[in-house]
Amino acid sequence: MADAAPFDELVARASRGDRLSLETLLPLVYDELRRLAAHYLRGERPGQTLQPTALVHEAYLRLLKDRPDRWQNRAHFCAIAAHSMRQILIERARARDAQKRGGGAPRVTFDESLPVTAPDGRVDLIALDAALDRLAVVDADQARIVELRYFGGLTIEETADAMGISPATVKRHWALARAWLARELL
Amino acid sequence: MTHHWSRITALFEEAVDLDRDAREALLTRTSVTDPSSVAEVRALLAAHDRAGGFLETPPWAAMPDLLSEDLDRAPDLTGRRIGPYRILEQLGRGGMGIVYAAEDTRLGRTVALKALPPAFTRDKVARERLAREARAAAGLSHPAIATVYAFEEIEGEVFIATELVRGATLRATLGPGPLTGDLLRILTTVAEALAAAHEHGIIHRDLKPENVLVSSDGRVKVVDFGLARSLSPTPGSNASLTVTGAMLGTPGYMSPEQLRGAPLDARSDVFAFGVMAYECATGVHPFGGTDAASLVERFVSPQSPLAHRIEPPALDAIVRRCLDVDPNARFASGRELLAALRGPGEQVPNAAPRVLSARAWWWWQFHQVAIAMLTSAATIAVWISRRWLAPWGSSLFLVTLVLATIAVTLRLHLLFASHVHPMTLPAQRARLLRSIASLEGVLLAILLGIGIAVSGNHDAMSAWLIVTAVLHVLSLAIIEPATSAAALSD
Repeated sequence: MADAAPFDELVARASRGDRLSLETLLPLVYDELRRLAAHYLRGERPGQTLQPTALVHEAYLRLLKDRPDRWQNRAHFCAIAAHSMRQILIERARARDAQKRGGGAPRVTFDESLPVTAPDGRVDLIALDAALDRLAVVDADQARIVELRYFGGLTIEETADAMGISPATVKRHWALARAWLARELL
Repeated sequence: MTHHWSRITALFEEAVDLDRDAREALLTRTSVTDPSSVAEVRALLAAHDRAGGFLETPPWAAMPDLLSEDLDRAPDLTGRRIGPYRILEQLGRGGMGIVYAAEDTRLGRTVALKALPPAFTRDKVARERLAREARAAAGLSHPAIATVYAFEEIEGEVFIATELVRGATLRATLGPGPLTGDLLRILTTVAEALAAAHEHGIIHRDLKPENVLVSSDGRVKVVDFGLARSLSPTPGSNASLTVTGAMLGTPGYMSPEQLRGAPLDARSDVFAFGVMAYECATGVHPFGGTDAASLVERFVSPQSPLAHRIEPPALDAIVRRCLDVDPNARFASGRELLAALRGPGEQVPNAAPRVLSARAWWWWQFHQVAIAMLTSAATIAVWISRRWLAPWGSSLFLVTLVLATIAVTLRLHLLFASHVHPMTLPAQRARLLRSIASLEGVLLAILLGIGIAVSGNHDAMSAWLIVTAVLHVLSLAIIEPATSAAALSD
């Protein structure tokens, strides 16, 4: 990965409490998220172009909230970004769920009972989240691979890079993790 | 990882790539020594075979509705009654809510009623911030800004009632081609609105053609001042980022610093103005579009060259300056932008911030000059009195001279600041006022003391010293706070 050195060095300086480097770091962090956004864009369909951007915004704000002294390097950052994405999506799914059950304040304007059609690839994210937590108990690495690949949008190669293992290993573990989760959910 | 699981992993990963017969042979062979792992692997292989495209489509592509706003699914309220409002018709839907024309039955007037996305009804912190922001915006009174009437919480929903402007958005007026003729007038009016808001410390944060309304008789009104701030999460706030994140503003019009999530000031609005002006003048977006692809392109090369030149060249220069990546290179505020748009023939004075009237401003400056002169005159009086106060008259005079010199210098500094850097005056004044008051307090005590000491022998001088001291007391206690409040307050 290009520019890995300055990023890692800045993370190191930021974790020593260097405020100046923190300010230098944040745009770089955003660069990193933009790179993630580029992944979404490659898979984008017409009519939903801005949603990945919104997701990046949210993930970015979350990362701002967390003190960056927790980031050890670029790979670690990717992991945290993917984890943020996972949390955001799960929270949204929960909020939708709560609305459907009619929880919360009485609503006069927003009708929540409209049916939602289920296109291909829909996953019960809340169930997936719980299953992923169970998988992490059995095999933490495999759960991380799923988080990076599915929620972080990383390719096999990038996941390998971020985890410091070979792409072949990622590919094999991904197949098993996917089967494990499918057995839980499908 | 348990030993059992590592055997399962190894066996699964070996078996999964084999064809049906080879896989069966491997499993049968292994089940002799490790039947429990084989049973598990068989189940996993079965799951693998029926998984299909499971987890292969990213969640944002497979479930776009999770990322879309609740708003898309909100029903039309036309004909309903919401609190005191009778909904007449739906005027539009946008990222920040649904706008209706409604009748306020209490006052019998027609208003624009904006139903805000339900995200804010769930989050108390976000709701309070919104109320605060609406109150700030309600303080803006300018012909080019749609007046905010009320912030309403009705049955758990949040509404903002504003002046109803019948007309088309600048976006609709723009149409497919560039805007002609009226362009400069509309842009200048928008700059006037920005200037007025910036002087009240309010930043729009989401200026775009959708937020500029042009009525049928040509009046221009900017709507939604400050709303974007309330609707966007800030790092560290308790507001749920999840539900509000998509409403940070409109990426295509956001300044580079806004995209980075950096703190914003008036110059961010100036950037958005530049985007809008470029779009009005050329009919195309300066960065190619407002979709994510153009946005990513902007990130990659932040200072992208502008494809078109704008006529007249003076406007071209202004727009380019607005669009500079570096906020320091842009116009500092709406006021500067307005001055540039109006051209050198019509220089707008660099008005002070938060000044309600020029008259109050004049009185504040007059007061500074008057007190400075009074202090100087008192020093001369002490110089004359010093020989009657031997042996300590000279020492007293020196103390008075030092105190008076500092006090007068500080007063004159404020006066200078009010002329040259009016924006910084409130801060400078807050910083210096305590020092000035202490110095003048000691000074007036000395004047009063001398006045009493010399009374009887030198009544004229005594009277002058005591009057000066009393005037200082009045100045510090009454006149200074009153003129400052009039000149500097909101």
